[in-house]
Amino acid sequence: MILATNLKEAARSLLSSKQRTILALIGIVIGIGSVIAMVSVGKIVQEESLRQFKEMGTDILTIEKEFGDSSGQSGKKSKTAQIKLADVVAMPGACPGMADVAPLVRGNGQAAYNGKKLDQASLLGVTESFLAINKMTISQGRFLTDMDAQSRYCVVGSKVAKDLQRLGARQVIGEQIRAGDNIFTIIGVTAEVLESGMRRFQPNESIYLHLTTALRLSSESSNGITTITARVSAGTSNTTARDQVLAYFAAPARGQAVRVSSPEEIIAQMEKQMQMFTLLLGAIGSISLIVGGVGVMNVMLVSVTERRREIGIRRALGAKRGDIRGQFLIESVILSLLGGLFGILFGIGASRLIAHFAHWQFLLSGGAILLGVGVSNAVGIFFGYYPARQASLLDPIVALKSD
Amino acid sequence: MLILRDIRKSYRIGPTEVDVLKGVDLDIHKGELTSIMGPSGCGKSTLMNIIGLLDRPTSGRFQLDGADVSYSNDDALSEIRNRRIGFVFQQYFLLSRLSAIENVELPLIYRGDRQGFTRERSMELLRRVGMADRAGHRPSELSGGQQQRVAIARALVGAPSLILADEPTGALDTKVGGEIMELFHTLNREDGITIVIITHDPGIARQCGSVAVMNDGVIVK
Repeated sequence: MILATNLKEAARSLLSSKQRTILALIGIVIGIGSVIAMVSVGKIVQEESLRQFKEMGTDILTIEKEFGDSSGQSGKKSKTAQIKLADVVAMPGACPGMADVAPLVRGNGQAAYNGKKLDQASLLGVTESFLAINKMTISQGRFLTDMDAQSRYCVVGSKVAKDLQRLGARQVIGEQIRAGDNIFTIIGVTAEVLESGMRRFQPNESIYLHLTTALRLSSESSNGITTITARVSAGTSNTTARDQVLAYFAAPARGQAVRVSSPEEIIAQMEKQMQMFTLLLGAIGSISLIVGGVGVMNVMLVSVTERRREIGIRRALGAKRGDIRGQFLIESVILSLLGGLFGILFGIGASRLIAHFAHWQFLLSGGAILLGVGVSNAVGIFFGYYPARQASLLDPIVALKSD
Repeated sequence: MLILRDIRKSYRIGPTEVDVLKGVDLDIHKGELTSIMGPSGCGKSTLMNIIGLLDRPTSGRFQLDGADVSYSNDDALSEIRNRRIGFVFQQYFLLSRLSAIENVELPLIYRGDRQGFTRERSMELLRRVGMADRAGHRPSELSGGQQQRVAIARALVGAPSLILADEPTGALDTKVGGEIMELFHTLNREDGITIVIITHDPGIARQCGSVAVMNDGVIVK
């Protein structure tokens, strides 16, 4: 009964000074919001790295050509250091740790359909092994084979296919796309897949040509083969395979600098990124929780001062010190919980935004919400206790005489 | 039922000790309508605070309903205030955010009674003071006389042994003040409620069954 009455009283009292209530809440909202965002970003990243492993497996290495290492000669180096297709094809033979390789050439130039530009689509030169290594599948038609070398066939990603349909293509297969001065006939569409750390391209927004075609059509300024995705042979560790690859490209015959990354590294990098968010959000969170708590305390102290007469009346009517303390404590807890509620919404919004910009899949963490409620409750009790105690220790006579 | 023996109270103001009550002896019997009268500054407010258990005497014995309450602890005093004493103040002291009936309910809530009961009982008391039709009104929507009636209902709701009224008509005009005094008489006559009225007004004091006159910290008559 007392509890129910106190809850009602607290709500009334907070409503009667809305402006003050809202101002006091801002700190709590930001604090709880940051804590929620911190926890759910952690959760999102954890899930994301698991998904990466599941999606691509742990036996994939990405080999990328090193571009200019900031020294003066870099420009010259990148010109001379073109990776030759023959070298790539020879890799599985030369490096025992390599099971299969899929080189990639990024084409330049804009593709168009029916005279309309396909803005999002980029041109990629690939080989037959590309599909399997990148764990992609075909949804319509067929993929390029090495028999299609030098041909004018292409395969499009699922988003490109949708764009084409929007631009009026009845059936995507057999339609023709123009890129520069060349016309390509579509022979297949790839199924939609996630764009993840190991797929260093937009799998759904690309137009795939055969590598040889792409190399022949590309201009002088092209970088040639920039990326190679490789599958490590069973029984070979990623580190061994990586050393072999580095040695292979560093050999005098080639003399190229490459960077090799494994799924572990990408996940480690992601976790580092997450740690940064965690640190930032943790710092913001704890500072604003303290500021917010002090705000709550301030509001409650003002409230106690304003309501001295009320406290005196209640004491005269038989309220014990504990009753008065409880009344004000409930008020500060409600205030903090209210802040916590908005903070949870704010935190979910913030983590959603972070996930969006980091290209992670958003998910809602129930634990984070529970934590938000718990922490705001604790803030309310911790920072509300002192004002509530002050209220309960007021001398009834002094309180009654005040105005 | 109320026995005060040699009650003394002194306050320390700076370096000097001020004796406000200098040995008060007072007996109030059950069912009496008593007034304590005296000029301002004579110590009657201090006496009322002590009788109302809002303050403690420096020395002396104080019995309420046969129990010595002079030196009980704070929680025990709250409990006695809640169950045995009903306050009526000059400024009514209703809580402005609560409706009339919610104000009347308060003593019962601090007693821990069930909500159904507190509502019913409060309504009964509002009816007794003629305020049943205003149960849902806020104090600001009531006149002074009406507020004082609600305050009297609040004082009565817990069925206390003693109603302690501090200048209950002080903020009201003569006509309304007369009505409030009439209500006290009715409650005293019909329900046998013990009432102590503290006043500086000899007119009010004359209406009471017995009068204790106070001057300079002692009861002189």
